[in-house]
Amino acid sequence: MSAFVEQFLQTLASGLLIGCIYGLMCVGLAFIFGIMRVINFAQGDFMMLGMYLSIYIGLNVLPATVIGAPVPFVSALVSGPILFLVGYLLNRTLVSRASGLSVATSTEVEAHQTQLILTLGLALILENGALILLGPAPVTATTTLSSSAWEIPLLYDEFSAVFLNKARTVDAGICIALVVALFWFVKHTRLGKQLRAAAYNAEAALYMGIDVTRAHHIAFGLGTAIAGIAGGLVAIYYPVQPFVGVDFIIIMYAGVVLGGMGSIVGSFWGGMTIGLVQQMATLVLPLQLQNAAIFVVFVTILLLRPQGLFGRSAERA
Amino acid sequence: MRQKPGLSLAIIAVLVAAWLALGFLIENSYYRLLLTIVPIWAVLAISWNVFSGYSGLVSFGHAAFFGLGAYTVTLCLVHWNITPWFGIPIGALLGAIAGVAIGYPTFRLRGSYFALAMLAYPLALVYLFEWMGYQEVTLPIKREAPTWFMQFSDQRVYLLLALGLLTVALVISLAIERSRFGMSLLAVKQNELAAEAAGVDTLRWKLRAIVLSAALASAAGGLYAVVLLVVTPTSVFGLVVSAQAMILALFGGAGILWGPVIGAAVLVPMSEVLQAELGHLLPGIQGIVYGIAIILVILLAPEGIYWRVRDLLARGARPSSIVPSGGAPESISSSPTPVARVQPIHPARILEVRGISKSYGGLKAVHDVSFAVPEGSIVGIIGPNGAGKTTLFNLLNGLVRPDAGSVRFHGKDITGLKPNQVCRAGIGRTFQVVRTFPRMSVLENVVVGAYVSHGTEDLAWRAARQAVDRVGMTARADVVASALTNKELRLMELARALASEPKLVLMDEPLAGLGATETREVIGLIRALPSSGVTVAIIEHTMHAMVTTVDNFVVLDHGQLLTEGPPAEVTRNPQVIEAYLGRKWAMKNVAS
Amino acid sequence: MLRVESISVSFGGLRALDDVSLEVGQGQFVTVVGPNGAGKTTLFKTISGTVEPSGGKIVFGGRDLLSYQAAERPHFGIAHVPEGRKVFGPMTVLENIEMGASTKAGQGEWTANLERIYTIFPVLHERREQLAGTLSGGEQQMVAIARGLASSPQLLMLDEPSMGLSPTMADVIFDSIKQLHRELALTILLVEQRVAEALEHCDYGYVLETGRVVLKGSLDQLSADDRVRQAYLGM
Repeated sequence: MSAFVEQFLQTLASGLLIGCIYGLMCVGLAFIFGIMRVINFAQGDFMMLGMYLSIYIGLNVLPATVIGAPVPFVSALVSGPILFLVGYLLNRTLVSRASGLSVATSTEVEAHQTQLILTLGLALILENGALILLGPAPVTATTTLSSSAWEIPLLYDEFSAVFLNKARTVDAGICIALVVALFWFVKHTRLGKQLRAAAYNAEAALYMGIDVTRAHHIAFGLGTAIAGIAGGLVAIYYPVQPFVGVDFIIIMYAGVVLGGMGSIVGSFWGGMTIGLVQQMATLVLPLQLQNAAIFVVFVTILLLRPQGLFGRSAERA
Repeated sequence: MRQKPGLSLAIIAVLVAAWLALGFLIENSYYRLLLTIVPIWAVLAISWNVFSGYSGLVSFGHAAFFGLGAYTVTLCLVHWNITPWFGIPIGALLGAIAGVAIGYPTFRLRGSYFALAMLAYPLALVYLFEWMGYQEVTLPIKREAPTWFMQFSDQRVYLLLALGLLTVALVISLAIERSRFGMSLLAVKQNELAAEAAGVDTLRWKLRAIVLSAALASAAGGLYAVVLLVVTPTSVFGLVVSAQAMILALFGGAGILWGPVIGAAVLVPMSEVLQAELGHLLPGIQGIVYGIAIILVILLAPEGIYWRVRDLLARGARPSSIVPSGGAPESISSSPTPVARVQPIHPARILEVRGISKSYGGLKAVHDVSFAVPEGSIVGIIGPNGAGKTTLFNLLNGLVRPDAGSVRFHGKDITGLKPNQVCRAGIGRTFQVVRTFPRMSVLENVVVGAYVSHGTEDLAWRAARQAVDRVGMTARADVVASALTNKELRLMELARALASEPKLVLMDEPLAGLGATETREVIGLIRALPSSGVTVAIIEHTMHAMVTTVDNFVVLDHGQLLTEGPPAEVTRNPQVIEAYLGRKWAMKNVAS
Repeated sequence: MLRVESISVSFGGLRALDDVSLEVGQGQFVTVVGPNGAGKTTLFKTISGTVEPSGGKIVFGGRDLLSYQAAERPHFGIAHVPEGRKVFGPMTVLENIEMGASTKAGQGEWTANLERIYTIFPVLHERREQLAGTLSGGEQQMVAIARGLASSPQLLMLDEPSMGLSPTMADVIFDSIKQLHRELALTILLVEQRVAEALEHCDYGYVLETGRVVLKGSLDQLSADDRVRQAYLGM
């Protein structure tokens, strides 16, 4: 019995830790959708770019001897601003061009679908471009922290304990810090409020002199930066290859939809829920069906409550 | 303009024959395989087009059907020794069932949510099949009866089979295009609400489309398995397959027979050849080709190559498109005296509205409105901005459900019916913003409205022609919609509503943007409607025109009924003046 | 200060504005009235830049406005209080007003402006931490006007501020607009459907119908003219 409890708690702890990382990923996607109403299909691929960039920086740019074990974490954070720039420029040159066009007739719904398709094209290019430039062989970031864990003894039994992997715990901590930082930025800084204003009512924002187009570029850049950092953090325990983004796409979408698309806080909890579902599923399902469980959750939520568990109204028929 | 079916069939025959000849001429087995694969991808792209290209519901998940077909054929052969000759049709059937199972719940979603949900299904199937142990399944070689098991030593037979399937798909596509199937779907894509209001049962057509699309996709998948002899979850359920289906169709041209064929004929060889030649240097070149292709198309030719080329060619031949609404500026203050129309002494009440209300959040858009419309009359719904007029029409039409109250039409309660049912009952509707099929003729635009009350194609087209005559557009019946003037667009919109032969027509701002002469023309038509058996209700702001046209005004203000009555009374009613001009005006200028 | 010269706007084949010209002098209170669909909101949108004209010129303070993007124009001193208020619902009253101060001039005079706003609209001070979306129509209108004021404008454009408001509330709003004109010497361009209230305090009025200026004149001239009523009601 106590073995089961221990296993349960261990799974719960792992779920929470990974949930934090998924939460950050979802926040990135939700942020872009919340401000610009664009579903960035390439979000997973920006994660992939962040992963590679982070590993590269960690190996070649940072003074490892000075920083020591936390190198991957630092390099993940460093990759953030770089990916912000990439996202900003991509939106400016490419993605925003699709907003005025339509595949059939121009309605708002179809304009956003056009951007979804465009970002699909972008995803294909990023994935295959990475394949060409970087090769298919998986790589990982390493740190001594990933092989050690903090032990949290369970009170009822001197032999039972829950182990928190140090690397993942640090990951989770950084994720939480970033989400809090983003939340603070959006809620309390002038620029953050202007981004929100542009999302709530773009026309009124223009009349106030807020540059809505630039706001969109910034929002996209922030979203890709977050994806990049999340990628760098994930690279510590997950092997990186050009198509790794695809593995995380469904997790991100499921988390964002669950949390209510466009809600930053909601999507964090959505990602957290997905992380928990994924880990807890291992208690009852074989390993390969873990992800199938996520699909079931995803589709069920879409069908029963498209506005998510935490969100407002959605596009419904 | 649509091509004649004979011409299209001829083109199909020539195309297939030429392709076949090419297949026989080329000796290199790799290129022969390529020639065989292209039609199969074309069929997948056609299947995507049949559903998403026509209906506008972007599907990111057609790989689900493709893979189901592939695995059905494979597993039938491997486990139960069933030949692909049967396996492919079985796969198509299973695909069709999957189409309903997936479509029915997912249709409740809109736009991007629908696309994302469709994404989930094939990805889930990848994991499912991997877990079931089918990481890689090879089709067994059946030496004892190769023909029975669809295995041929001569590669060219596969080409024949692929082209056969392609022909079937093209013929089906052609049949759809010319029929109410295709037209109804296009109407849904163009404006789903307007289609509903015109009598199109949008849910039914979407389901039919996805079922057909899924069956075709599954058939393509089945043949794919037969040709390639090996099936893995990612190769048939993968994102690339779904993306390919979509990109090929969008690239070539959505909503048209030839689009997917063009897309497949251009992109598949390009990417495959590049992959073969440069694959060792640039391993992901295929994906990059598709990625660049879709981005270029979205930015430069959003509707596909076919339409872009057509438009460019047509621009040379045709005079420039939209003629702005003309009409010399005239003095507005002259108001002609109203023309009295003969009306029955005690007309029946064709429409009775009782206590109808609708709130949005805390806002009462329409509150406790009651009035009746006499048969054969013209009634004008007026009121200041935000008074609730369009909401009222939406309530009458079925586009919005009332919170309270009832609507009776010819004595029958129609409250809460779906818009296409309301249309079926005999109420037509025109909309403020006219959405057309810009590349189709007036007649083709109008026929969508005729389907609801005319069962056969012949009757529908005839009714469409009659409706076009009724609005005086006979001479322009075959003109492409994008070449019409503003006035003609509004007349066409009216014709579409009249094509269903309604007894009551709700017209929402039919005169917006028209010059003085054009207004008079349209008004003349509207005035003639009651004598042909159609009662009219109009929302309009162009009061000068309305006061001489309507028999009665129903005035709304802040969602409530202010008053009703003939124009002469209403326009001097102090309450009405106050509602429009303000209380102080009414006080200042006591009506004479 | 503002000169609109022969502006024409078309949407597809629809002519929304046809050769419209008007002038607003420094310190004036000018009104544009007209029935629904006359093109009043289109006119404002063209001045602000969310709609592009097919012909004509707009000069503000010596600048050719049409050569600037929509987001740049408020920084020259034009504040547009939009039709339907369009407050940022999920933000507080104070945050909404803060957004109005996105112009450099607005940021510089923030404290002074805020005090003025609270003096004219005391209820906004009370409800400053309340979410704008939960306010009543009249209060939201005040927020919208406050947003305009926060940018330290030279010209305040108001699009149908009385829409959807009860007559009493509309009176309150008109009174405060009057107050603004008087006390702050603001130049005001007002668009209204409710003619009398709008014409009551203005220096000069234009009547727009189906995209054209059909009448113009001082308050006395217009109010004596039955053509105004006819423009609205047709006979």
